[in-house]
Amino acid sequence: MAENCLPSVTLTGSGRPVLEPNEIECFFLSGVDLLCEDDPHTCFPHLKSGLLILTTHRLLWLPDSSAAGPASSSAAIPLAAISHIFSQKKSLRSVFASPRVRFQVSLSPEGRVAASGSRSVVATAVVRGKGDCDAFLTKFWENWRARASEEAESGSSSGSSASAVTATAAASSSGIYSSDGTVRMVGVSGILRKEQEMWESTDRSLQDAFQDLNALMSKAKEMVVLAEKMRLKLLSGSNSQTNATNDEEMGSKEEMQDWLLSVGIISPVTKESAGALYHQQLSRQLADFVKVPLERAGGIINLIDIYCLFNRARGTELISPDDLLQACSLWEKFEVPVVLRKFDSGVMVIQTKSHSDEEVLAKIKMLVMKPDALRAGVSAGDAARTLGVAPTMAKEHLLSAESKGLLCRDISPDGFRFYINLFPEIDRDDMYLVKDQGIYASWVQANHSRA
Amino acid sequence: MRRRPGIGGLQTHAAARDQFRLLGENVAKIRTDLMKEQLATFRSQLEDFARKHKNDIRKNPAFRSQFHEMCAKVGVDPLASNKGFWAELLGIGDFYYELGVQIVDICLATRAHNGGLINLQELCHLLRQRRKSDRGVVSEDDCLRAISKLKVLGSGFEVISVGKKKLVRSVPTELNKDHNEILELAQAQGFVTVEEVERRLSWSSGRAIDALDTLLDEGLAMIDDGHRDGKRRYWFPCVSPISSLIDIIDS
Repeated sequence: MAENCLPSVTLTGSGRPVLEPNEIECFFLSGVDLLCEDDPHTCFPHLKSGLLILTTHRLLWLPDSSAAGPASSSAAIPLAAISHIFSQKKSLRSVFASPRVRFQVSLSPEGRVAASGSRSVVATAVVRGKGDCDAFLTKFWENWRARASEEAESGSSSGSSASAVTATAAASSSGIYSSDGTVRMVGVSGILRKEQEMWESTDRSLQDAFQDLNALMSKAKEMVVLAEKMRLKLLSGSNSQTNATNDEEMGSKEEMQDWLLSVGIISPVTKESAGALYHQQLSRQLADFVKVPLERAGGIINLIDIYCLFNRARGTELISPDDLLQACSLWEKFEVPVVLRKFDSGVMVIQTKSHSDEEVLAKIKMLVMKPDALRAGVSAGDAARTLGVAPTMAKEHLLSAESKGLLCRDISPDGFRFYINLFPEIDRDDMYLVKDQGIYASWVQANHSRA
Repeated sequence: MRRRPGIGGLQTHAAARDQFRLLGENVAKIRTDLMKEQLATFRSQLEDFARKHKNDIRKNPAFRSQFHEMCAKVGVDPLASNKGFWAELLGIGDFYYELGVQIVDICLATRAHNGGLINLQELCHLLRQRRKSDRGVVSEDDCLRAISKLKVLGSGFEVISVGKKKLVRSVPTELNKDHNEILELAQAQGFVTVEEVERRLSWSSGRAIDALDTLLDEGLAMIDDGHRDGKRRYWFPCVSPISSLIDIIDS
């Protein structure tokens, strides 16, 4: 059999596809077969019951999460390689059979999918799961169209709207001063006029763009460029001109820097796009997202902090606390490196699995085996300092170590103190026997050396 | 420019330079002013759109991401729902969720200098600043309601009363590193007082009292009101065991 003609998809740690810059997921369909019906000799693989994701750039097929196959079995078809989408035939047969979406994919002579291939095959997506196939088809058409026009635009290098802004940007960057900081000697009035024109054009484009939503949508790219330009200017401008920095400006500057840190998720999973798969996909996205803040917080973070950070990263796509909780509780079912933990006090935190019990137990064991600790035990405060966590947390760890049989407690006027558990070491037949090696021996030694 | 010799030449040269610099500065000033003006328009328009067309924006994923980018770049909070009738009456809708996110955001931003404990009044003030374009004024009651919506996510975020003040605590006891600092401080003498903690760590009084109270509840501290100066002492037997103090007395 020939080589697989579809490029595979890179997956994140939680099993979400890695998207290209500016790529956004638009629709999820579960239980989809992807196959090529008309030509069994092509290298088109037969993909069975997986997750089909439509993005603005590609059509992604991922194997079902429950039957975790090798990552190589995933597949992607760039929308640019699709040359035709067939409309659905309405027949009596189609009422009973699973809905199908058929489209034409062009292949290069080597048998890989390519935007301008020499031959083409018809691929079929059979939707076996529940899912709104019609809505998918509409969206598929929309994205395919949009992608085609975008390709055309980027092909002709001077996109009319974008170039206007970049041209003004270039003009402004040269500005009044030449690179060595001296005033340019040519045509001062000319420069001033140019400056004036530039401002007027910016004003006009702002007005045009904000007429109504459709205008803003069509001018979105231009406006993003403009926003970036303004931001950079304001940031650099107030740095060089210290005289002009009043409090308000400083405030807005800080605000802007804050904001820039807070955006992150370009393609948030939404109820609209993911449908029934919403919580599952949300859960995976969250697992990928928490990695960075978790690392920054030292491996453990309050769930409410994550609620804020995650929502901030999603922009207007707010999720409710209940959805977040549900997404976290689904982690148990997936292979993700993070867990949700609930304390007796009712506090919920997210922590990395590596931060969890085994490692902490090992550290506690090291701590109580020190000669001082063998003699006088350890308190929650000692443990807090060694483990680098809050005393309450440390106490929790000590109690859990006790319940595992590693420690024994001593309640004294000093509060709780914990000692290494010697009972397993003691021989029931000969209580006074001290073995040469082992914890008991080092305990005896530690106490002798003091006496 | 051709340079003429002599003092006169130098002087004209310097004067010309000054003229140019003045002009340059003027233009630069006008430029920043204009830019600020345009930025303000940009911002207010974006805010308007975020409020009016929220649902339409959300329907189009590609545009949504561009809209977010715009908001992020010029510093506009895309969360700007009005309170509305239903939110007021039943507490439904996105308004209180949005407020919740903004409240936690403020707590996170100020945590570095207040240790996760913020006065409710101050919180409200900062919130209003952030939502300055908002027509409805956010009250303390709204804040409390928004915070209560976060209860689902565990008790890591709560409103406590210290004296007459209401404080919002965003760091749960389990993650509070303030306690470690107090223990560190107590190591010297075995005890601390509220004043000492405030002075040495330069904390607000609410923060110190809250931390010490928690340590008391956790059984890590003991109080001693019997001292001559009348100040309450917090003893920490866990950092300097009583047995070791007895040793000192014995010797």
